[in-house]
Amino acid sequence: MGSEARRRSRERIREQREKEKRAAKRNRTLLVVGAAAVVVLLIVGVGYLVLNADRRSSGFEGALPPRTLQEDGSVVMAQEGAEAPVVEVYADYQCPACRQFELLNGDVLKENAAEGQAIVHYRPVSIFAQRPQPISSNSLRAGAAARAAADHDRFVQYNDALFENQPTEGEEGFTVDQLKDWFADTGPTEQQQEQFDQRVEEEAAVVSRFTGEFLPALTQDAQEQIGQETLGTMVLSDLLAWGDGHGHDSSFLDGTYTGQIIEATGNAYTRYNGDNAFRATPSVYVNGELLDNNTAMTARGLDEAIDSAGPGEVDTQPMGDGGGAE
Amino acid sequence: MDTPDQTPDPGSARGSRWDAVQPWLTLACRLGLAAVLFYAAVSKFPPALSVQAVEAYDLFPVEVARLIGYTLPLFEIALAVLLLVGLATRYAGAVSALLMVVFIAGVVSAMARGLNIDCGCFGGGGQVEPGETKYGLSIARDIAFAALGGFIALWPRSPFAIDRALGLFR
Repeated sequence: MGSEARRRSRERIREQREKEKRAAKRNRTLLVVGAAAVVVLLIVGVGYLVLNADRRSSGFEGALPPRTLQEDGSVVMAQEGAEAPVVEVYADYQCPACRQFELLNGDVLKENAAEGQAIVHYRPVSIFAQRPQPISSNSLRAGAAARAAADHDRFVQYNDALFENQPTEGEEGFTVDQLKDWFADTGPTEQQQEQFDQRVEEEAAVVSRFTGEFLPALTQDAQEQIGQETLGTMVLSDLLAWGDGHGHDSSFLDGTYTGQIIEATGNAYTRYNGDNAFRATPSVYVNGELLDNNTAMTARGLDEAIDSAGPGEVDTQPMGDGGGAE
Repeated sequence: MDTPDQTPDPGSARGSRWDAVQPWLTLACRLGLAAVLFYAAVSKFPPALSVQAVEAYDLFPVEVARLIGYTLPLFEIALAVLLLVGLATRYAGAVSALLMVVFIAGVVSAMARGLNIDCGCFGGGGQVEPGETKYGLSIARDIAFAALGGFIALWPRSPFAIDRALGLFR
């Protein structure tokens, strides 16, 4: 009896110890997991605050500095007589990274231009013109519409609207009706709206002919006659020139804004050399020097690049008729 | 929770060899996975491009995509730090493996919907030319990384870990 009681009591003590051991282990695990959770929250939380500090707290709401339409269809925004670095922005309206650039740094550009700290040169391009529809057609239609908006000195606002409403890549978007509506949102006169609407309709027809029939046929012929390898090295304007001599008359593009943006894109590829060569969008140049992504795609980076550059010269001529204001 | 970090059969030679090798294997997995996660996070900078890569999946509303674009790289860094210092090793390994499974699901969904995008796993991301997608490679890579995480979660015992100092996974 006595030994039995001792055995039981030993058993109880052993069980008790086991229990305590398990509890201690559970506590240790909880402690460690808790510490890990704190580390994760700290890194994510502090990091998020730091990254967000790069974004402007408030958007630019001041008056836009004067815009001047250029002969090649690009638009210069700067204070009168500003002596400041020239910031060239090459963007395709269907390019998602361009949309991110615009959302992040669109206001940084406006602010710098408004303060006379920068001469902003918007140079829309269509690097997607040779992609399959609807990527190509979206890109060209939007580019032509932005050019039409520039005729009525509404390029900058319209540029913003296009990026805000960028369709998901691969989906039909920038429809003629949408393009008209967004222009209406900029508060044009009735006459301006009429002219814009008509122009956008005409351009949409050109775009549809170009991306739907003309370019596929031309591309196929070129593939057969000069080979995919050479074709891959040709910019679109070279391909069009080749087509003109080989039974693909591209004259229906003459005088259209669609043709103009294709030409502007071709010229962008040959304008810069070496490390500064234009390869993709968005491409941002300060006085002809290409900014890397870490600079162009952060607000602080872009600001500093502008601050540290000297005055520059715009390399295009203003449109003869005084900016196309009608 | 505590099965594998106890020696099941100290007598068997096979068991003891495994016991000697396993901690170093886990350490190698920890360091390898931490390096991968850290590199993945850093290459996603700046966040504006990371947001673009998330948007390309066309799965989230704009604001959610933005939040993911900003915080995902930070979360990857946090996991990398945990694995590197060996804090909550088992759970960091399990969460990393789970994250890879989520990535695989994202890539598979992009593939299934016929999108032509770059996975944006190590920076980049967004639309690519049709026929230039590398979904297979991305998935294979993520499976390998998930395996590293799984190994760590199953056998968390390893040298040079804060866990040991705190009395866990000795």
